[in-house]
Amino acid sequence: MVLQAALEAGMDIPHYCYHPSLSVVASCRLCLMEMKVPDPKSGELVWMPKLVPSCQTPVKEGMEVRFNSPAVQQNQQQCMEYFLLNHPLDCPVCDQAGECYLQDYSYRFGQPTSRMVEEKLKNPKKDVGPRTLLYQDRCVMCSRCVRFTDEIAGTHELTVVNRGNRAEIDVFPGLPLNNPLQGNVVDLCPVGSLLDKDFLFKQRVWLLRETKSICPGCSTGCAIRIDHNEGVIYRLKPRFSPKVNDYWMCDEGRFGWKYLQDGDRLTRPVVRRGGEVFYPRWEDIPEIINYRLRKLAEQQTPTAVVLSPMLACEEAWLIASYVRALLPQAVLVASWLPVQGAEQNFPVGSPAEKARFTIRPEKCPNRRGVELLINKLGGASSTLEDLIKQVKEKKIKAAWITGGYSQRDWVSKELAAAAKELELLVMQDLYANALTDNSHVLLPSCCWAEREGSFVNQAGLIQPFERAVDGPEGTRRDGQYLYEIAGYSGLYRAEKVRERMAEQLAEFRDIYVAPDPPEHQH
Amino acid sequence: MSWKAYDRNQPVMDPQAPPVLTEAVREKIRSFFPRYETKRAVLLPALHIVQELLGYVSYQAMKEIADLLEIHASDVLDVVSFYTHFANHPKGRKTVMVCRSLSCELMGGKAVLEAVKNTLQIQEHGTSTDGQYFLVTEECLAECDHAPCLKINERTYHQVKATDVSRILADEKNAELSIARSSLFDPPGH
Ligand code: SF4
Ligand code: FES
Ligand code: FES
Repeated sequence: MVLQAALEAGMDIPHYCYHPSLSVVASCRLCLMEMKVPDPKSGELVWMPKLVPSCQTPVKEGMEVRFNSPAVQQNQQQCMEYFLLNHPLDCPVCDQAGECYLQDYSYRFGQPTSRMVEEKLKNPKKDVGPRTLLYQDRCVMCSRCVRFTDEIAGTHELTVVNRGNRAEIDVFPGLPLNNPLQGNVVDLCPVGSLLDKDFLFKQRVWLLRETKSICPGCSTGCAIRIDHNEGVIYRLKPRFSPKVNDYWMCDEGRFGWKYLQDGDRLTRPVVRRGGEVFYPRWEDIPEIINYRLRKLAEQQTPTAVVLSPMLACEEAWLIASYVRALLPQAVLVASWLPVQGAEQNFPVGSPAEKARFTIRPEKCPNRRGVELLINKLGGASSTLEDLIKQVKEKKIKAAWITGGYSQRDWVSKELAAAAKELELLVMQDLYANALTDNSHVLLPSCCWAEREGSFVNQAGLIQPFERAVDGPEGTRRDGQYLYEIAGYSGLYRAEKVRERMAEQLAEFRDIYVAPDPPEHQH
Repeated sequence: MSWKAYDRNQPVMDPQAPPVLTEAVREKIRSFFPRYETKRAVLLPALHIVQELLGYVSYQAMKEIADLLEIHASDVLDVVSFYTHFANHPKGRKTVMVCRSLSCELMGGKAVLEAVKNTLQIQEHGTSTDGQYFLVTEECLAECDHAPCLKINERTYHQVKATDVSRILADEKNAELSIARSSLFDPPGH
């Protein structure tokens, strides 16, 4: 379509109803352009007197169009005037202010004053679902939200009621907007009409800083953006990623990160020696670990390294290669897999190969990354179940176990019982559990938003993510202390570590970074 | 929250209420299925049938139609609210539509409207006390050559004089058609 091509060429063409992943309805009329057509008599190409919607006109060889003519600009002005007829002037209390296309477009294409002298129509606010509010008076009737529930989610909750200037967005009373992807309608809404109750009145959006990340919620690995201010995360938003999540993300990921703000995270390293408890400084940790592991090596103690699918590839590599350097026989084990429910494909009811979005049951971001690493590093490997047996049979006497799950109860009774038999247990985790309580060296972990690295999603794409915020006071990023333990000095940068990894493991050379969509597309 | 927001999470109908569509009505709706590729396409005939039965299309009826056609109830609400022909609240059994457009206006449509109002003792969008009549005005009934016009349900009256109104309204069978209805409403065999 001409509109898409123009946006890709960097032009700022106003549009509301057009969205690259939804069907085209050409109803907002903001994107109209002038186009040349053959004159019926002479066959010569002339400017057509009527304007045509650029979002609905396919690009053709030799076609001539223009957006900078007075007719086009007049249409934009008139459309904006129409959109603003009944729009309240409530930007100061509107959550969307600052990322609102009604604001941007009236500034760029509209008129400074309104000619409307009549009373504005006041439409009610509607509570359309457990997570979403609809401010009907701010709506521009682009119907993006309706098309999303029809075409992507396949759940059809939202609809247009009435018609013409009385048209409204609504749900059938009692059948609220309540599907696992509904947060996306808030992103899609170009104005402040559909709002997220969770984010409502929490922050002005221009205070937020954006960090590119990857959602750790399931093995799909959606590209996301973390919006944060002064070290506090306020919301997650999807980023466009054509190979993974398109423009969407699920609510589980969008709202499921709150655990990282819980007050009971582990924050300081602990060393337990013969019933005594010490709280060492972070600076001393590399020496403590080195000393303990060298002793294992001297005594040739059979050791296992349990790598969690919550770890970034770089972190897993740092641990595994460090331990293997001292103890070449060390067994590498992929840790517990959080699996929950079944695969959910959208639109609801569509088969997996036709799905436009999939929520996967594997609720961790990096199983494939950890497995890839274990395979490529070669040597002894095992499963968590076998490991428990081997510990009981005294075939494994020391272990370095990593957790980092949001599920606090991830440690099974068998694992906890086995851990008590170990001569040395080095433990990395977020929250206290049976393993951390019995560990000899405890290293508090950070959450994914507080770290950087890369995850390998279910399709095998290696996707880097950046750090948004710091962990709670006292913590250090896992990458940083692992880097120091492994004998490097300076600041841990995932990219540098990845380069080192790639020298050894060629697979980690090709990372996938989703392209940014055109600046003026929304 | 400190402001007013309509709560759309709660149903407006009683979830325990018995169904409003009788088996006969359902059967009549189903008889349209073979005519179209999708069941969704039967929505308009279904709405006509239900409105004729109940006088309006209640939320309960919308839900039942949706279930019958295997579509979402919001899609039924969309169509019901789009067409002014369908009402989602109770109204008189017969709808009197008086034309208010140009030709009829010139030929005395206003007087006809006044006569209807006086006879039934109602205003526009009002229902007579006996629940028989509901009054609206319409923009051109497409019978300008017989202006002024008035319609009761599907039956049109041509060149109506204000003095005819009370006689027309008194007639019990004033909404009955003298010709067979379009098969869009009554499929053969019904
Ligand atoms: S609520 Fe937002 S997305 Fe939906 S029609 Fe209105 S402006 Fe468009
Ligand atoms: S008409 Fe083209 S974007 Fe709305
Ligand atoms: S103006 Fe009344 S029928 Fe056309």
